[in-house]
Amino acid sequence: MKNEVLNIRGMTCAACAQRIEKVVGKLAGIEQASVNLASEKLFVEFDPEVLPLTVIQDKVKKIGYEVVEKTDSSTVVIPIGGMTCAACAQRVEKAVKKLEGVTNSSVNFATEKATVVYQPQAVRLSAIREAIEKAGYEALEINRQDAAKEDRERKQLEIKILWTKFITSAVFSLPLLYIAMAPMITIVQLPFPAGLDPMRYPLLYALAELLLVLPALGVGYKFYTVGFKALWQRSPNMDSLIAIGTTAAVLYSLYNTWLIAKGNFMGVDHLYYETAGVIITLILLGKTLEAVSKGRTGEAIKKLMGLAPKTAIVIQNGAEKEIPIDEVEIGDILVVKPGAKIPVDGSVVEGRTAIDESMLTGESMPVNKKAGDPVYAASLNTTGTIQFQAEKIGSDTALARIIQLVEEAQGSKAPIAQMADIVSGYFVPVVCGIAALAGIAWYFGTGGDIEFALTIFIAVLVIACPCALGLATPTAIMVGTGKGAENGILIKGGQALETAHKINTIIFDKTGTITEGKPTVTDVLTTEGVEKNRLLQLTASAEKGSEHPLGQAIVRGAEDAGLPLFTMENFESLTGRGIEANIDGHTILAGNRKLMAEREISLTAMEEASDLLAEEGKTPMYVALDGTLSGIVAVADVVKQSSRAAIEELHHMGIEVAMITGDNKKTAAAIAKQVGIDHVLAEVLPQDKSNEVKKLQELGRKVAMVGDGINDAPALAQADIGIAIGSGTDVAMESADIVLMRSDLMDVPTGILLSKKTIQNIKQNLFWAFGYNVIGIPIAAGVLYLFGGPLLNPIFAAAAMSLSSVSVLANALRLKRFQTTVGKGRVSRP
Amino acid sequence: MKKNVKLISAIGVAVVIVALILTGILKTAGTIDVVGKGSVDSFEAVLSASDSGVVFDEENKGWKLEAPDGSAGFIWSGNFSESPLFDVMLSVDAAPFVEAGLDIEKLPEYYTVQDGMLLVGTQLGEDQGKEEATPKAAYEEIVRKYPHQIGYHTPMDHYNISLGNGNLFEWAKNMEMNGSVKEAQDKDIVFVLHPEPLIAAGVDPEKVEGWAYTTVSMGMGASAEEMYKFLKPFDLQ
Repeated sequence: MKNEVLNIRGMTCAACAQRIEKVVGKLAGIEQASVNLASEKLFVEFDPEVLPLTVIQDKVKKIGYEVVEKTDSSTVVIPIGGMTCAACAQRVEKAVKKLEGVTNSSVNFATEKATVVYQPQAVRLSAIREAIEKAGYEALEINRQDAAKEDRERKQLEIKILWTKFITSAVFSLPLLYIAMAPMITIVQLPFPAGLDPMRYPLLYALAELLLVLPALGVGYKFYTVGFKALWQRSPNMDSLIAIGTTAAVLYSLYNTWLIAKGNFMGVDHLYYETAGVIITLILLGKTLEAVSKGRTGEAIKKLMGLAPKTAIVIQNGAEKEIPIDEVEIGDILVVKPGAKIPVDGSVVEGRTAIDESMLTGESMPVNKKAGDPVYAASLNTTGTIQFQAEKIGSDTALARIIQLVEEAQGSKAPIAQMADIVSGYFVPVVCGIAALAGIAWYFGTGGDIEFALTIFIAVLVIACPCALGLATPTAIMVGTGKGAENGILIKGGQALETAHKINTIIFDKTGTITEGKPTVTDVLTTEGVEKNRLLQLTASAEKGSEHPLGQAIVRGAEDAGLPLFTMENFESLTGRGIEANIDGHTILAGNRKLMAEREISLTAMEEASDLLAEEGKTPMYVALDGTLSGIVAVADVVKQSSRAAIEELHHMGIEVAMITGDNKKTAAAIAKQVGIDHVLAEVLPQDKSNEVKKLQELGRKVAMVGDGINDAPALAQADIGIAIGSGTDVAMESADIVLMRSDLMDVPTGILLSKKTIQNIKQNLFWAFGYNVIGIPIAAGVLYLFGGPLLNPIFAAAAMSLSSVSVLANALRLKRFQTTVGKGRVSRP
Repeated sequence: MKKNVKLISAIGVAVVIVALILTGILKTAGTIDVVGKGSVDSFEAVLSASDSGVVFDEENKGWKLEAPDGSAGFIWSGNFSESPLFDVMLSVDAAPFVEAGLDIEKLPEYYTVQDGMLLVGTQLGEDQGKEEATPKAAYEEIVRKYPHQIGYHTPMDHYNISLGNGNLFEWAKNMEMNGSVKEAQDKDIVFVLHPEPLIAAGVDPEKVEGWAYTTVSMGMGASAEEMYKFLKPFDLQ
């Protein structure tokens, strides 16, 4: 199976999204198809051997939407110096075209620019520049188009076009509304051109209205081309509603204009051109505001994309050369000076510096880097100049993966959206049915008043708003997950978001989660006849093969004490218990009480000392040499500063907090007491952690598991929500539902609160979107009028419809005000 | 360039569509002044229906359409420089108003009393006009030169000619349809007087014999306003 994201254009409402999902979902070879209306993206999981991507693209195009082709090509505009005539331009063009990997090259002599379409993986931009220079011309500083910029420009252009259309429509529709309404207003005598007096010049009056409505219909042509096409394909959408409603108004008015022309002047009372014109204008206004708001929902991604630098300084032939970021290849040695951003992921090969990695981890304190340390793209070099080797470029960098993760999350759907999706699928046909039924009913109910029936018909069509339903969920998810990403909280989709807000129990892993995860040796106790350094030296030599933080702490302890380590043989890691190895002719067992019990090694001699260490929150590691207890190496880990405040905050939110650890009960209890944890699950083997989660789930609890994502992946997967804390490691990214980029436990309550706020926002949006339609449609259908209330004018229906989408978007954008106050024991509530 | 071609094509198509719509409508109508044109045919029908009642009024230099009972008449002139008093006017028996309290001295200047008749109307212009031989031709001259005087009373389905100051002469658009299609359109010709100057001159509107003092819906659609008028309607057929 393969996942792909296709950019779709031309969707106007939830019905469009539903239709694409439905049609693509039916194709053989499709596992899943999901459309995000707000981000205009189609997410497909498909089997490329059964179903080529082009078939999916063709299918989408066939039903009337545009698929923006993804291309491996890049376009670059290179200003050229030294051209004197058209022949020079030809020469440059030919020289560039000759290069392998250049798809197209076009040189404009007048603007002195070469536009080159090329495949970056086949040809380097520097090679293109070299070719130009070899041809005898100067390749000046380039102006490269990047995807984010292009997308931003496209959206800005879309807003500009919509705005122009709205202004054009308004310029004609306002006078139209005036001449339609002024003769009807009797309270005040509004100025009115005598030549248009409907009682004296009804035909001129009707023609003036017709001429004024035509520009509005012209700028709103897309409502008709898209709407009728969708109707023809038996999948009407919002455009179909607008198209049917306004077309009915215009046709009826045209008929009456014709009657006037024939001498039946009664028709002057039955002109509805202004209804069509003003509806188009108001819908265009709504669409413009919607486009502006939609652009703001995706700002988080834009910010992330904007973090990456555009160029890098590479060392080529011993000299520094600035090249575009896309030109960097794995293995290149890059130079980063103080104040500059790291261009790609890699490892330092020379120099020392402190790097601000807050964009990745949220941690504001710069991290010291020396040779061998990893550096990440978009992080900021603060103090020294370093050279590093590029290891991950393009879409493989940590930043690119975070962007991808956030994009996927923003494109995902929450289960709460299901109801809206189902309703959207049937919405437009049902509304058409209601409009027709209401129109017919009123026609007969009023004794054949076609005009009244038409008013009802148009009002119902125009007030119904599937857009609000379609935007309710994705916009909130986009803003919510984006806000999370800005704070180093990566929520992997709508499902996670929705489940997270229901969590009532949280289990924290101890080491590396509640504690710093950097334990140190605090005590070495030995039995009679065993020398302390000798015991530490042997234990550290054995632990050298271990990846467990406690083992590594012992190794560091020995190294710090200047003790050389022995060569180890037959190392065996005994999961959840300890290790066994042969060193210098001795068999060494180092581990917990369980391990010693298994091997029937008596702990009596050191029982009391062990208990004392545990009560102090230290982890006693028993060491047996050749089957006899020889001592204890105690290791302690420092509790993170924010742990207590975070747990307090979780308690404040009504969430029960537990701690799970492989450590002994006493040590665990001591740590739990320090941070205020309710329940302790101690001496749990890693493989049993998921069972403990399961047990709580069986009691009806909604459980979140917080761990570092390295040794507790099964528990993270078993939990309703797995929260990986600490960094953007691959394992954490894969196994968790929420990834916390920094090691601050306060991000746990922040993440849960953000999910609560987002779900609350979605519920509000859905409530308004459903409520608006549930109330608006009956009013438009004349239910209030039936009982002596007012009748809704279609113009007001159009205004209400436009505002409903905008109000949903505005509500979603409120989430942008969500703020966190870490370290004060409270998460601020917007 | 490609974009410009597209835009120019779109504008071209739009212009052609607009031209076609306008041509079709204007061809159907024959003229933009559909009220004027329609009113001529209806007026001719009214003249035909009251053939004996149409005479040339030498004194006022205009054609006169008299009500069947002779109590009122509509006078119009196609030669605007010739008419001594008004170019279009109503001539109504003054007696019912005098009996209802009218003090002639208090009437505004556009009212005149002549041989026991109240004359009320307006000057349209001073142009020479044609020496019109027929009442229809004289009316056509008014339509041609002063089209804004001709109106259409939507609720009644009547044409009318404004005589100024709220006074009108109305006639049915289609006398054949009277009473059969629209209940309201029940009379062939109606003499309409604006009551306010008369009331101001002492007339008790409820006491005017032979005239209906009632509200009439004037204006269009939702703005149609109910206004009090003195009405004197007649059937010609």
